[in-house]
Amino acid sequence: MSTIRQLVVPAKHDQLAQIASFVAHGAEEAGFEEGLVNRIELAVDEACSNIIDHAYEGTMGFIQLEVTVEVRGSLKIILIDQGHSFDPNEVPVYKPCQTLDNARIGGLGLHLMRQAMDDICFEFNVPGLGNRLTMVKYL
Amino acid sequence: MIATLNVRESSFAPVAPDGEAPRKPIPVLTVAGRLDASTVNILERALMRALMQGTKAVIIDAGEITYISSSGLRVMLTARRQVRERGGDIILCALSPNVRDVMNMVGFTALFTVHESLDSARNAAARIK
Repeated sequence: MSTIRQLVVPAKHDQLAQIASFVAHGAEEAGFEEGLVNRIELAVDEACSNIIDHAYEGTMGFIQLEVTVEVRGSLKIILIDQGHSFDPNEVPVYKPCQTLDNARIGGLGLHLMRQAMDDICFEFNVPGLGNRLTMVKYL
Repeated sequence: MIATLNVRESSFAPVAPDGEAPRKPIPVLTVAGRLDASTVNILERALMRALMQGTKAVIIDAGEITYISSSGLRVMLTARRQVRERGGDIILCALSPNVRDVMNMVGFTALFTVHESLDSARNAAARIK
Protein backbone atom coordinates (compact mmCIF):
# COMPACT_ATOMS: atom_id res chain seq x y z
CA MET A 1 0.00 0.00 0.00
CA SER A 2 1.32 3.41 -0.89
CA THR A 3 0.66 6.90 0.40
CA ILE A 4 0.91 9.96 -1.82
CA ARG A 5 1.40 13.48 -0.49
CA GLN A 6 1.70 16.73 -2.39
CA LEU A 7 3.15 20.14 -1.60
CA VAL A 8 3.33 23.28 -3.73
CA VAL A 9 5.72 26.03 -2.68
CA PRO A 10 7.07 29.23 -4.21
CA ALA A 11 10.43 28.66 -5.89
CA LYS A 12 12.43 30.51 -3.26
CA HIS A 13 15.40 29.55 -1.15
CA ASP A 14 13.52 30.30 2.05
CA GLN A 15 11.22 27.36 1.23
CA LEU A 16 14.05 24.78 1.28
CA ALA A 17 13.66 23.96 4.97
CA GLN A 18 9.94 23.31 4.55
CA ILE A 19 10.61 21.14 1.51
CA ALA A 20 13.25 19.19 3.44
CA SER A 21 10.87 18.62 6.34
CA PHE A 22 8.13 17.43 3.98
CA VAL A 23 10.47 14.97 2.28
CA ALA A 24 12.10 13.79 5.51
CA HIS A 25 8.69 12.94 6.94
CA GLY A 26 8.00 10.69 3.95
CA ALA A 27 11.43 9.08 4.10
CA GLU A 28 11.04 8.27 7.79
CA GLU A 29 7.59 6.84 7.15
CA ALA A 30 9.00 4.62 4.42
CA GLY A 31 11.48 3.24 6.98
CA PHE A 32 14.78 4.85 6.00
CA GLU A 33 17.34 5.31 8.77
CA GLU A 34 18.61 8.78 9.68
CA GLY A 35 21.67 8.80 7.43
CA LEU A 36 19.63 7.91 4.36
CA VAL A 37 16.91 10.39 5.28
CA ASN A 38 19.63 13.05 5.23
CA ARG A 39 20.80 11.90 1.80
CA ILE A 40 17.24 11.98 0.42
CA GLU A 41 16.76 15.50 1.84
CA LEU A 42 20.03 16.47 0.20
CA ALA A 43 18.99 15.19 -3.23
CA VAL A 44 15.71 17.11 -3.11
CA ASP A 45 17.40 20.23 -1.74
CA GLU A 46 19.93 20.20 -4.59
CA ALA A 47 17.22 19.62 -7.18
CA CYS A 48 15.07 22.45 -5.82
CA SER A 49 18.05 24.81 -5.57
CA ASN A 50 18.78 24.10 -9.23
CA ILE A 51 15.15 24.84 -10.14
CA ILE A 52 15.22 28.12 -8.21
CA ASP A 53 18.61 29.27 -9.50
CA HIS A 54 18.64 27.92 -13.04
CA ALA A 55 15.11 26.99 -14.17
CA TYR A 56 13.40 30.10 -12.80
CA GLU A 57 16.60 32.17 -12.58
CA GLY A 58 15.24 34.02 -9.57
CA THR A 59 11.91 34.92 -11.20
CA MET A 60 8.54 34.05 -9.66
CA GLY A 61 7.47 30.44 -10.03
CA PHE A 62 6.37 27.37 -8.14
CA ILE A 63 7.69 23.92 -7.35
CA GLN A 64 5.22 21.07 -7.03
CA LEU A 65 6.36 18.08 -5.00
CA GLU A 66 4.75 14.67 -4.91
CA VAL A 67 6.07 12.07 -2.48
CA THR A 68 4.97 8.46 -2.77
CA VAL A 69 5.74 6.29 0.24
CA GLU A 70 5.84 2.53 -0.03
CA VAL A 71 6.34 1.46 3.58
CA ARG A 72 9.35 -0.83 3.85
CA GLY A 73 9.73 -0.53 0.10
CA SER A 74 10.70 2.75 -1.52
CA LEU A 75 10.27 6.48 -1.70
CA LYS A 76 9.45 8.19 -4.99
CA ILE A 77 9.75 11.96 -5.26
CA ILE A 78 8.46 13.93 -8.23
CA LEU A 79 9.36 17.60 -8.69
CA ILE A 80 7.52 19.68 -11.28
CA ASP A 81 8.37 23.21 -12.38
CA GLN A 82 7.56 25.51 -15.29
CA GLY A 83 10.99 27.11 -15.60
CA HIS A 84 13.64 26.83 -18.28
CA SER A 85 14.71 23.34 -19.27
CA PHE A 86 18.32 22.23 -19.39
CA ASP A 87 20.36 19.35 -20.73
CA PRO A 88 21.77 17.30 -17.84
CA ASN A 89 24.36 15.90 -20.22
CA GLU A 90 25.84 19.38 -20.63
CA VAL A 91 26.38 19.81 -16.89
CA PRO A 92 30.06 19.20 -16.12
CA VAL A 93 30.56 15.80 -14.53
CA TYR A 94 31.90 16.33 -11.04
CA LYS A 95 34.95 14.25 -10.26
CA PRO A 96 36.18 14.11 -6.68
CA CYS A 97 39.75 15.44 -6.60
CA GLN A 98 42.67 14.80 -4.33
CA THR A 99 44.09 18.30 -4.49
CA LEU A 100 42.60 21.70 -3.92
CA ASP A 101 44.13 23.11 -7.08
CA ASN A 102 42.13 20.94 -9.43
CA ALA A 103 38.95 20.64 -7.38
CA ARG A 104 36.01 21.73 -9.55
CA ILE A 105 32.81 23.04 -8.11
CA GLY A 106 30.60 22.68 -11.20
CA GLY A 107 28.21 19.77 -11.22
CA LEU A 108 28.40 19.29 -7.46
CA GLY A 109 24.63 19.37 -6.93
CA LEU A 110 23.85 16.88 -9.70
CA HIS A 111 26.62 14.62 -8.44
CA LEU A 112 25.12 14.62 -4.94
CA MET A 113 21.65 13.86 -6.33
CA ARG A 114 22.99 10.87 -8.27
CA GLN A 115 24.98 9.65 -5.29
CA ALA A 116 22.03 9.95 -2.93
CA MET A 117 19.26 8.38 -5.03
CA ASP A 118 18.92 5.06 -6.85
CA ASP A 119 17.00 6.31 -9.91
CA ILE A 120 16.85 9.78 -11.42
CA CYS A 121 14.84 10.70 -14.51
CA PHE A 122 14.63 14.18 -16.06
CA GLU A 123 11.80 15.04 -18.45
CA PHE A 124 11.51 18.50 -19.95
CA ASN A 125 8.65 20.45 -21.49
CA VAL A 126 6.08 17.74 -20.76
CA PRO A 127 2.83 19.00 -22.38
CA GLY A 128 0.50 20.57 -19.83
CA LEU A 129 3.00 20.03 -17.03
CA GLY A 130 6.43 21.57 -17.54
CA ASN A 131 9.63 19.96 -16.35
CA ARG A 132 9.41 16.78 -14.30
CA LEU A 133 12.15 15.20 -12.24
CA THR A 134 11.49 11.75 -10.77
CA MET A 135 13.81 10.38 -8.10
CA VAL A 136 13.48 7.02 -6.37
CA LYS A 137 15.23 5.53 -3.37
CA TYR A 138 14.76 1.87 -2.50
CA LEU A 139 14.99 0.55 1.03
CA MET B 1 9.32 27.03 8.50
CA ILE B 2 12.54 28.98 8.00
CA ALA B 3 16.00 27.49 8.16
CA THR B 4 18.24 28.91 10.85
CA LEU B 5 21.99 29.08 11.00
CA ASN B 6 24.00 30.66 13.76
CA VAL B 7 27.68 31.50 13.45
CA ARG B 8 29.47 32.53 16.64
CA GLU B 9 32.71 34.34 15.93
CA SER B 10 35.50 34.10 18.49
CA SER B 11 39.26 33.79 18.47
CA PHE B 12 42.17 32.60 20.55
CA ALA B 13 45.74 33.77 20.72
CA PRO B 14 48.31 31.01 20.34
CA VAL B 15 51.26 31.27 22.70
CA ALA B 16 54.40 32.22 20.80
CA PRO B 17 57.58 30.35 21.71
CA ASP B 18 60.18 32.35 23.67
CA GLY B 19 61.95 34.86 21.47
CA GLU B 20 59.29 34.84 18.76
CA ALA B 21 56.92 37.70 17.95
CA PRO B 22 53.38 37.47 19.38
CA ARG B 23 51.05 35.54 17.11
CA LYS B 24 47.87 36.92 15.59
CA PRO B 25 44.62 35.66 17.13
CA ILE B 26 43.14 32.75 15.22
CA PRO B 27 39.44 33.09 14.32
CA VAL B 28 37.09 30.31 15.37
CA LEU B 29 33.66 30.08 13.75
CA THR B 30 31.23 27.94 15.70
CA VAL B 31 28.49 27.06 13.26
CA ALA B 32 25.12 25.67 14.31
CA GLY B 33 22.01 24.83 12.34
CA ARG B 34 21.07 24.20 8.76
CA LEU B 35 23.63 25.21 6.13
CA ASP B 36 21.77 25.43 2.82
CA ALA B 37 21.31 27.95 0.00
CA SER B 38 19.06 30.09 2.17
CA THR B 39 21.55 30.44 5.04
CA VAL B 40 24.96 30.09 3.40
CA ASN B 41 25.47 33.85 3.14
CA ILE B 42 25.68 34.00 6.96
CA LEU B 43 28.71 31.70 6.95
CA GLU B 44 30.14 33.39 3.85
CA ARG B 45 30.13 36.80 5.56
CA ALA B 46 31.66 35.39 8.74
CA LEU B 47 34.40 33.71 6.72
CA MET B 48 35.11 36.96 4.88
CA ARG B 49 35.47 38.81 8.19
CA ALA B 50 37.78 36.08 9.49
CA LEU B 51 39.93 36.14 6.36
CA MET B 52 40.15 39.94 6.48
CA GLN B 53 41.96 39.62 9.80
CA GLY B 54 44.91 38.37 7.81
CA THR B 55 45.56 35.23 9.83
CA LYS B 56 46.77 32.09 8.16
CA ALA B 57 44.39 29.78 9.99
CA VAL B 58 40.64 29.78 10.46
CA ILE B 59 38.84 27.08 12.46
CA ILE B 60 35.30 26.04 11.65
CA ASP B 61 33.72 24.15 14.53
CA ALA B 62 31.08 22.17 12.64
CA GLY B 63 29.82 20.08 15.53
CA GLU B 64 26.37 21.66 15.56
CA ILE B 65 25.78 21.78 11.81
CA THR B 66 22.71 19.59 11.39
CA TYR B 67 22.66 19.68 7.59
CA ILE B 68 24.91 20.82 4.75
CA SER B 69 24.24 21.10 1.02
CA SER B 70 26.52 21.90 -1.91
CA SER B 71 26.05 25.61 -1.16
CA GLY B 72 27.91 25.21 2.12
CA LEU B 73 30.59 23.06 0.52
CA ARG B 74 31.22 25.67 -2.19
CA VAL B 75 31.68 28.48 0.31
CA MET B 76 34.11 26.46 2.40
CA LEU B 77 36.09 25.41 -0.68
CA THR B 78 36.30 28.99 -1.95
CA ALA B 79 37.47 30.23 1.46
CA ARG B 80 40.07 27.50 1.69
CA ARG B 81 41.46 28.45 -1.70
CA GLN B 82 41.80 32.05 -0.55
CA VAL B 83 43.56 31.17 2.69
CA ARG B 84 45.85 28.71 0.94
CA GLU B 85 47.09 31.54 -1.29
CA ARG B 86 48.69 33.04 1.81
CA GLY B 87 50.06 29.69 2.93
CA GLY B 88 47.35 29.07 5.49
CA ASP B 89 44.59 26.59 6.11
CA ILE B 90 40.94 26.28 7.08
CA ILE B 91 40.60 23.62 9.72
CA LEU B 92 37.31 21.83 10.27
CA CYS B 93 36.50 20.01 13.45
CA ALA B 94 33.87 17.89 15.15
CA LEU B 95 31.98 16.97 11.97
CA SER B 96 28.58 15.40 12.61
CA PRO B 97 27.91 12.07 10.84
CA ASN B 98 25.63 13.78 8.29
CA VAL B 99 28.17 16.46 7.40
CA ARG B 100 30.98 13.93 7.18
CA ASP B 101 28.82 11.73 4.92
CA VAL B 102 28.14 14.60 2.49
CA MET B 103 31.80 15.62 2.47
CA ASN B 104 32.78 12.02 1.75
CA MET B 105 30.29 11.88 -1.14
CA VAL B 106 32.23 14.62 -2.95
CA GLY B 107 35.73 13.75 -1.75
CA PHE B 108 36.06 16.90 0.37
CA THR B 109 37.39 15.06 3.42
CA ALA B 110 40.56 14.50 1.38
CA LEU B 111 40.80 18.21 0.51
CA PHE B 112 40.25 19.66 3.96
CA THR B 113 42.14 19.36 7.22
CA VAL B 114 39.65 17.71 9.57
CA HIS B 115 40.10 17.21 13.31
CA GLU B 116 37.93 15.26 15.70
CA SER B 117 37.82 17.95 18.38
CA LEU B 118 38.13 21.70 18.77
CA ASP B 119 41.15 21.25 21.07
CA SER B 120 42.94 19.26 18.42
CA ALA B 121 42.03 21.85 15.75
CA ARG B 122 43.35 24.68 17.95
CA ASN B 123 46.64 22.87 18.43
CA ALA B 124 46.97 22.31 14.68
CA ALA B 125 46.10 25.94 13.90
CA ALA B 126 48.64 27.19 16.44
CA ARG B 127 51.38 25.31 14.60
CA ILE B 128 50.72 27.17 11.32
CA LYS B 129 53.19 30.05 10.99
